[in-house]
Parts: sequence; structure tokens; C-alpha cells
Amino acid sequence: MDLLGNLGLGITVAFTFQNLTYALLGCMVGTLIGVLPGIGPVATIAMLLPITFHLPPTASLIMLAGIYYGAQYGGSTTSILVNLPGEASSVVTCLDGYQMARKGRAGAALSISAVGSFFAGTVGTIIIVIFAEPLTRMAQKFGPADYCSLMALGLVAAVVLASGSITKAIAMVFLGLLFGLVGTDVNTGAQRFTFDVPELSDGIDFAPIAMGLFGIAEIVVNLEKHLERGGAIKVGSLWPTREEIRRATPAILRGTILGSLLGVLPGGGPTLGAFSAYTLEKKLSKTPGEFGKGAVEGVAAPEAANNAAAQTSFIPMLTLGIPSNAVMALMVGAMIIQGIQPGPEVMTKKPDLFWGMIVSMWIGNAMLVIINLPMIGMWVKLLTVPYRYLAPAILLFCCIGAYSLQNSTFHVMQVAAFGVLGYIFVRLGCEGAPFLLGLVLGPQMEEYFRRAMLLSRGDAMVFLERPISLGLLITTALLLILMALPSIKKAREEAFQEEG
Amino acid sequence: MERFLTKDFLSGLMFVAFGLGALYVGQHLAVGTPVRMGPGYVPRMLSLILLALGVVICIVAVVSGSEPVERPKWKPITLVTLGIVCFALLFERAGLIPALIVLILISSLAGEEFKLTEVIGNIVVLSILCTVVFKMGLGMNISVVQGIW
Repeated sequence: MDLLGNLGLGITVAFTFQNLTYALLGCMVGTLIGVLPGIGPVATIAMLLPITFHLPPTASLIMLAGIYYGAQYGGSTTSILVNLPGEASSVVTCLDGYQMARKGRAGAALSISAVGSFFAGTVGTIIIVIFAEPLTRMAQKFGPADYCSLMALGLVAAVVLASGSITKAIAMVFLGLLFGLVGTDVNTGAQRFTFDVPELSDGIDFAPIAMGLFGIAEIVVNLEKHLERGGAIKVGSLWPTREEIRRATPAILRGTILGSLLGVLPGGGPTLGAFSAYTLEKKLSKTPGEFGKGAVEGVAAPEAANNAAAQTSFIPMLTLGIPSNAVMALMVGAMIIQGIQPGPEVMTKKPDLFWGMIVSMWIGNAMLVIINLPMIGMWVKLLTVPYRYLAPAILLFCCIGAYSLQNSTFHVMQVAAFGVLGYIFVRLGCEGAPFLLGLVLGPQMEEYFRRAMLLSRGDAMVFLERPISLGLLITTALLLILMALPSIKKAREEAFQEEG
Repeated sequence: MERFLTKDFLSGLMFVAFGLGALYVGQHLAVGTPVRMGPGYVPRMLSLILLALGVVICIVAVVSGSEPVERPKWKPITLVTLGIVCFALLFERAGLIPALIVLILISSLAGEEFKLTEVIGNIVVLSILCTVVFKMGLGMNISVVQGIW
């Protein structure tokens, strides 16, 4: 199939009234929740998962993608206006964005970040279109052993990019894999870890886990922290000055390129992209002293980079079925609930879903620019709603959402249980993202592992004899060894220090 | 004692506990052979790895030390969890509004400030909103107040 034909198919799917509506709805809801302080995209998507379950698959994925971008945009808005990053990838935007706002240039910072993000999103979408097919074709040559190794690589790479102790992150992956096994064994029908609870025989539902671990735990942590708020900020003119445009344009371009590259890496994604772009701009700048005091490049580049990376991080998920970060793991979870097994088959078997989703990503990005800039006043008002009103309301929507999954209060109880577990994870400094990746990949990985071992008559050497598998495993091992080297370990710790 | 109340040591313990727990619960699952794996093969493998990792994390934490764990604030996590559990228990038995009132009341207590008038306002707004959106708008099969509507 040619590119234009694919795009044409995507356009016909994405531009139906129904799908446009869901894209718009997703963007609105995503922005709404993303603007609320302390709730990033992962928590937003986790909490909103239930509302997409009753939609057709394409519409639900389009809506989720919209929520994801919306949450990112919302996060940038709060970073600039009140110095509260909604998520890790907007942390750097705070540095210069908030300073610009204090100088009365909030409007300019917002519009530059919106336009930069839109441009980067467009480029990111084009990259997906170009690379999706070759990658999918490559993935179709993979045997069970290769897949198993690919997943191992994906999991390890994700761990490397988690902050904190690597051993703990690896243990979290295994814990996630173990939780993924709960339910009926597909090969023998045996009940595993179900404690004779009938609701558990299909496995622990993904949505309550995600809602509890990310949503509830985040609310509790915010309640403890007592969120500080800046006073109301005047947005000012949305139009940047000519000087600002001149300085922002190359920064946006560089940020887009860097972000697109880093987004594809397993374990990469918006946060890594934004941080690297900021560092790059600071190094290239003739006046590095201005950074941290309201340099327009310091807003433009990271915002472009995080959006580009947010786009391209869809590539490994859509073509290989390997989520590269927590958001993509949620997407995989949502697809599985819809009865779609992510992987190379999605593109060949469901081309309308695949290309429709890609085109609607671009539409979503365009909508966000339109929604965000003129309506900025409304979002600013939202920021002044006190958290003591919001927290109970969010909890309530989580509970009703969890109930609506299968009209069962058992799911609400699960949300409570995983909320406690998530809180323990936070307190012990264990990252939730590796757990979620393990959970999502667990069942498939077991399946591939068992199939590979069956085909090789129980010889584990199969993982080393197949060239693709061997290459992937060597890469995995290299990554682990690299991380153990003292100099890299130190640099990594410093990088995360800056983030925290 | 200080030495053991660290984030790393306690998380190591948690992994050990999960590993042991999974081994215990999964003990009756047949392991099978590498060629024909039983339902217990992969779980046992994962539990053992988790157990080993937990032990390593514990040892490293004791030998080279780690960040002390902060004193948890019990109020928010307890009240939030309690609120959700009460909601789950009341939702089908008493209906949306009673469950909502209890959840909002309890979870509002979890924050630092609690003003009864504000909380009541919040309850009224959310009751109307949820009834309109979920019952009338989305037509969910739920009762607003059990036995009445």
C-alpha cells in the first residue's frame, strides 16, 4: 500500500463526525484535567479510561490520544502561569516560562509553546506515517523467541529511564509481570492467584489498577503536600514580539528534531526530550545567562521536543506492540480491553483503525491550538479552584468510572486496594511506570516464552541462536552493563537530581 | 533500627514478601517441564527472581545505607481509602446520592481545611451534576436513591 492511499483511508476515518467529536471531547477533557495542578497525563488517562470503554475501538483510541495531548497542553499552561508543572515533561518549561509570565509575557509564552507544540506534533505525525510500514514489515518476521527478547529489551530500557535505583525498578517490572499472571492460565485453564474470587478469573482488570496506582495515590500525595498556589497571573497579549519569534523559530526546529529522535527510543518519551532540548539550547545560546530568567528559547525548544516525542513514542507501541512509557502502557491496556492485541497485526488487519488514529492525532493537535489560545481565560479561572473542592470530586468520578466498567462495586474496591499499594510505592520510592509496563506485557511475554520453548523442545538456547533475538538480548545486556558503570551511574543520578 | 527504616530496605522487604506470597499461593500449580510448561512454571520463575532481587536490595540497603523513609501521614491515605470503600459498599445498597455524600464528607476530612458549608455546597453541586450526567445523560443503570429513583 502506498503512503497516500493509507493517509487517504485515515482521513476518511478520522473526519467522520463521530470521530471528530470524540477527538474534540478527548482534547477538552484532557486539557481540563491537565490544567488541574498535580495531575499529569498518566493519572489523567488512567482516571478517564472507563469513559472510553463503551465506545467503538477507533473512537476510544482517538479519544484517549486526544486526552493525552490535551493533558500535555494543560500541563504546559500551568507551568507557565503558576509555576506548577502538571507532569515531568513540563518541569523544564517552568524554568523560563514562569519567568516570562512574571515579566508580563505569559501570553507570548503560551502562544509560542502552543504553536511550537503544534509544529512538532505535525512533524511527529509525518514521521509515524513514514516509519510505520517498514517497521511493521520488520516486526512480522519476528518469531516467538524474538518477541520475548524484544519485550525484555523494552522493559529494561524503560527501567533505565526511571529515576532512582535500577534494581528497584527491575524488581518493580517483575512484580508487574507477576500481577499480570493473575487469572485463568490460557493454556491449561488453571486458576492462578485468583483466591477463588470469580471476578479475578479474567485477570485483574487493568483500569482499576491504573486508576488506583496513579490516580488515587497521586491525590493522596497532593493532599499531604498542601499545594501552594501563586496568585492570579495576567496573561497579557498572546502575540509574541518579532524578536521573540526570531529567537523561538530555530529553537522549535531543533527541539522538534531532538524530541522526535528521543521519542522513538524504548523508555524515551516527552520528559527525556524536553530535558535534552533545554540543555541543547542552553549550550548553543550566545547568552546562556538568560536561561532561567525568561529566555524564550527555553520555552520553545522543550515544548516542541516534548510534543514531538509524545508523538513518536507511539511508533514502537503501534508497530511492535511494545509500550515505551507509562502512557503507552495505558494505551496498550486500552487496546487489549477493546479486544485489539497491539503489534504488527494491527496495521494489516485493522488499517482503518491504525491510519484513522494517526490522522486524528494531527487533528487533535490542531484542535488544541484552537481550543487553548482563545479559551485560555477559562483555564486560568480553573486554576483558582481550591484543591479541597477538586480532590473529593476527582475521587468521586474515579469511583463512578470504576463502577461503570462492569457495573460492579468489586472494581471500586480494587481501586481502593491499588490506591493503598500505589501510596506504599510512592513512600518507598518505587516507580509505578515499570510496574505498569510489566503488568501490560506480562501475559504476552509468558505466551511467547512458552511458545518459544515449546518450538525449541525446551532448549533455552533458542534465545541466543536466532540472530534477531540474540541482537536484542545483547543490546539489553549492554544497557544493563552501561548503567552499572560508575561514571554513567553518576551522570544519570545528576540528571534526575535536576528533574526533582 | 534507623538502619532498617530506609526506603530501599523496606522496598526490598516488600519484594521478598510478594515473592514468598506468590510462591505460597502458587504452590499447588503444576510446574511442568520446559517443553510443556504447566501453569506454575512462569509464576514460580518470576517469584524466585523477585525474591532474589528483594534479598539483594535489602542487603545493599543495609550495607551501603539509603534514604530514611519519611514518617507517613496516616490521615489522607486512611480517609481516602475509607471513603472509596464506603462508596463501594453503599452504591448498590443505598444509591448514588447517599454513597456520594459519604465519600465527599470523608474525603474532605482528609485535606487540611474543612469547612462544613463548603463541603455541603460541593455535595449539592456534585449530586446534581452526577445525576444529570450519569443517570439522565449517559443513562447508566444506577439508582440515585435506592427504592425511590
